[in-house]
Amino acid sequence: MQDLYLIGPLPWWLIALVAVLTAVLLIQQFRALRQRLPLGQSAILTVLRACVYAVLIFFLFGPALIDRRTTKLRRPLTVLIDSSQSMAFPADSQPARGDKDPLSRLDVVREKLTAGPEPLIEKLSRDYDLRLIRFGTSLEPIAAGSLPGLQAQDPGTRLVELLQAAARDRAAQSAIVVFSDGIANGAQTSIEGMAPLPVPVFAVGVGEAQGFTDVRITKLGAPDFAFRSREFKIDLTIQASGMKGKTVPLFFNRGRNLITSRSVTIDDDLFEQKVTLAFTPKELGTHGFSVSIPAQVGEQITQNNHKDFKVEVRRDKIRILTLSGSPAWNYRFLRMAMKQDPLIELVSFVFLRTPTDSVDVPETQLSLIPFPIDDIFLEELKNFDLIFLDDFSHRAYFNPVYLERVRDFVRDGGGLAMFGGPRGFDSGGYGESALREVLPVELDGKGVFEMRDGLQAALTPAGKAHPITRLVPDPKANEEAWRKLPALTGMNQVRRVRGETLLTAGGAPLLAIGRHGKGRTLALMTDDAWRWNFIAVGNKQTPQHHLKLMRQAVRWLAQEPSFEQVQLQPIALSQPGEKVAIKLRVLKDDFTPTREASVQLRVFTPEGEPILVAAAAGTEEGEYAGEFTPTREGTYRVEAEASLSGKSLGKDRSSFTAAYFFGEADDGRPRLDLLKQIAESSKGEYIAIEDWNDKALERIAARLDSIAPSEIVEQRQTRLWSNLWPFAIMLALLSIEWWMRRKWGLI
Amino acid sequence: MDRRNFIRLLTQGLLGGGLLPGIAEAAQPKENQRLQFAFAQIKYRGGDWNPHPLAVTPLMQELMTRTSVEAAAQRHEATLSDRDLFNYPFLYLTGKYEFDPFTPDEIETLRRFLSYGGFMLIDDALGQQGYGFDKAVRREMQRVFPQNEFRRLPSGHAALRSYYLLRRIGGVRIVSPTLDGITVGNSMPVIYCHNNLGGAWERDQTGRWTNACTPGGEAQRRDAFHLGINLILYAMTENYKEDLIHVPFIRRRLTR
Repeated sequence: MQDLYLIGPLPWWLIALVAVLTAVLLIQQFRALRQRLPLGQSAILTVLRACVYAVLIFFLFGPALIDRRTTKLRRPLTVLIDSSQSMAFPADSQPARGDKDPLSRLDVVREKLTAGPEPLIEKLSRDYDLRLIRFGTSLEPIAAGSLPGLQAQDPGTRLVELLQAAARDRAAQSAIVVFSDGIANGAQTSIEGMAPLPVPVFAVGVGEAQGFTDVRITKLGAPDFAFRSREFKIDLTIQASGMKGKTVPLFFNRGRNLITSRSVTIDDDLFEQKVTLAFTPKELGTHGFSVSIPAQVGEQITQNNHKDFKVEVRRDKIRILTLSGSPAWNYRFLRMAMKQDPLIELVSFVFLRTPTDSVDVPETQLSLIPFPIDDIFLEELKNFDLIFLDDFSHRAYFNPVYLERVRDFVRDGGGLAMFGGPRGFDSGGYGESALREVLPVELDGKGVFEMRDGLQAALTPAGKAHPITRLVPDPKANEEAWRKLPALTGMNQVRRVRGETLLTAGGAPLLAIGRHGKGRTLALMTDDAWRWNFIAVGNKQTPQHHLKLMRQAVRWLAQEPSFEQVQLQPIALSQPGEKVAIKLRVLKDDFTPTREASVQLRVFTPEGEPILVAAAAGTEEGEYAGEFTPTREGTYRVEAEASLSGKSLGKDRSSFTAAYFFGEADDGRPRLDLLKQIAESSKGEYIAIEDWNDKALERIAARLDSIAPSEIVEQRQTRLWSNLWPFAIMLALLSIEWWMRRKWGLI
Repeated sequence: MDRRNFIRLLTQGLLGGGLLPGIAEAAQPKENQRLQFAFAQIKYRGGDWNPHPLAVTPLMQELMTRTSVEAAAQRHEATLSDRDLFNYPFLYLTGKYEFDPFTPDEIETLRRFLSYGGFMLIDDALGQQGYGFDKAVRREMQRVFPQNEFRRLPSGHAALRSYYLLRRIGGVRIVSPTLDGITVGNSMPVIYCHNNLGGAWERDQTGRWTNACTPGGEAQRRDAFHLGINLILYAMTENYKEDLIHVPFIRRRLTR
């Protein structure tokens, strides 16, 4: 359709002035013609000229024809669908009727978009340039056809962050429609501090906040590690919605064993109570714990009734049980070394009296306590890390059967040191006892204790490298330090060393070490080690070498990590799907790092399935590393084993936890209030899922129209003076006038 | 059997009972036996370092009879400048009279000895506080540990519980019912008795007590032997009896 418009640039008063002047000119012209022609002819010629002037004046107005065409556009629209795990929770706060499973929040969204003869998703596709995206921890475009198969699988909901990312997407868009339960557990959990959204957001809320029934364990605070035999505490918060008046049990388990339980009475509709639980671990290692509340009748979410965590139980101190055959200077200075070391806790029994010693007072006037044989060997042994038998013979005090307990203690990972003296080794009868197979030396049954002066300790090649006998870091200075130590005056004789000899004296083994099962053993074939301390002081030397030797022996026996040849580095907490770097350090028998070792790295999944992980030597000598990607949440055990030239260098174990940081199931209450706030702040609208229908679509369209029309009007302008016809008409009129003038004899 | 052992056995056979060991063999170190303890007595210049020359052997016999310690029957006599002084972590300093000051080297040696694990029992054979031996001891110990003074041992001190649960301090004459000590760090390497312990321990060659104990008689002498044994075991086990495992047991016995 074309319309005529006057679009000339001249002001109307100028055109009016021209018109007046033209009229004056015509009147003048008519008078002149009237003198030469009759009235009729004069009038005809004047009218013809008036027509020409009229056309010219008309063109002064700038007449133009404008042609308008209206085109309707398809607006770009982004539809976000929350596919986080919380969308699998029931949409309805009331339990489902009959045997039917309740519809999940995502089921409801799917139904609302795809059900009916003309599904709303199709209408949206038709009316809008639709981009369909699912979101949880990231934005994933999907096809409309994949909606029926969409799963609530994302481990978290970064609702606020992803809305902002979608709104700022470079692709043109007029609005965002988001289907969600409003749970936001990313870095931003509210709109506080959120930058204004550039497009309106129509938030469609799913799930019922009213009548929501759930009890959950949240805010679990547990230590990463605890010390053995020391109580540790965990803090947790129990929250409950819609369960007022109920009492629920809370169970605290280690593995499958119940540690303690507690009843919690819920006295409010929106209930929250902090609970502290305590446990005293007795065994070293990493232990899995859990706190749980059984699923309650009518409860909508049961995943959040349970929390797992692990605690690494470490020794706060190395606990040493020392049995000394009698008071002696060796015990005195050993005790001094142990007591000065804050890492060591010493429990000692010194046998002050033998069965043949008589006393001249009633027993009540003696400070002697009966040696608690059964308590020590049957009950308490597991609570010690090391046993020292210091010039001690069991024969006068207890049945050798108890030594089988000591053997088992070492086999299971404990440490045993036997210090010599007349009661040590064979004179203690150990050659015929259960410890025969445990000790690092083979006994000859003779029980010879040689006494002579000048027994100077000398390092063996193994002793030169071993951390027990490394008194000073520099190897040469270390040898020199050993050479300068005071000589000994007595030694036990043994047949041979089964383990490694670190020191000799007078050509005979003086200090030997070995392994038995998971444990370690040490034999020091003298009761004169105290001389390395006190006689050295008398020689104006340091007593520190003796103290250091004893402390290093303790640490090696206790398998302190710094004395291990295979050492796994601590592994950081990770999330499923993220690569975890597993690093370890491998040392040779002489405790120098090696890159030649064969390293086997195994990761055990939470289900216990072993997975072999390739480990390669790193840039630093002795460093090895492997990578593993956990696929699900849980505690993964790591075992590393290294060998060199076929000989095992040792093992180490560690563990790490893979867990999502979001806590998707922690609080499953829909946060419709957050959706409302988002809609409001973006000038959009909140729409409850039950109101999502054709009318809602119309409202959205109307709202978008009010912001910006969806039609585009094209107009085409044709200026008449740029047309041939006006000039043709004027030329025709002037030609007719010329012809008449000629006919009537004016020309 | 040497002359000394013969006399000892004879004496025991004649007197029997009392503080003498019932089983003579048990009190004697065996031939070529590893001895854990030697009683070293300090010889000094001036005064009288040896008021009771026969005091140590009865104590050693008692020690071996009552406890599991294998000890040298004879004392070792040492000066503070002896090269082998540190072979004997237990020193005994006694006398009646004021003695000459130690040399600076001897003071330094004694300081190192006592600071790094050695123990010294001081026994005033005169029993006159502020005079004679006591005066010299206080003077010399002031030089050894200028910052540390003698202080009275509390009744629950580990030295009084290391073997016997002692409630009384024995000796020839009860000059003081308590002991004094010097604390260095966490230990007490010097203990001082004013009651002439050596006099109470001493027998002559025929086995008779050379000094009567007054006013407590033989019970007081027995207390002196008990204290001697306790102090030796304290030196060899330090505060072992203060370990947590012993405390409730000892407390129960003391409250009976």
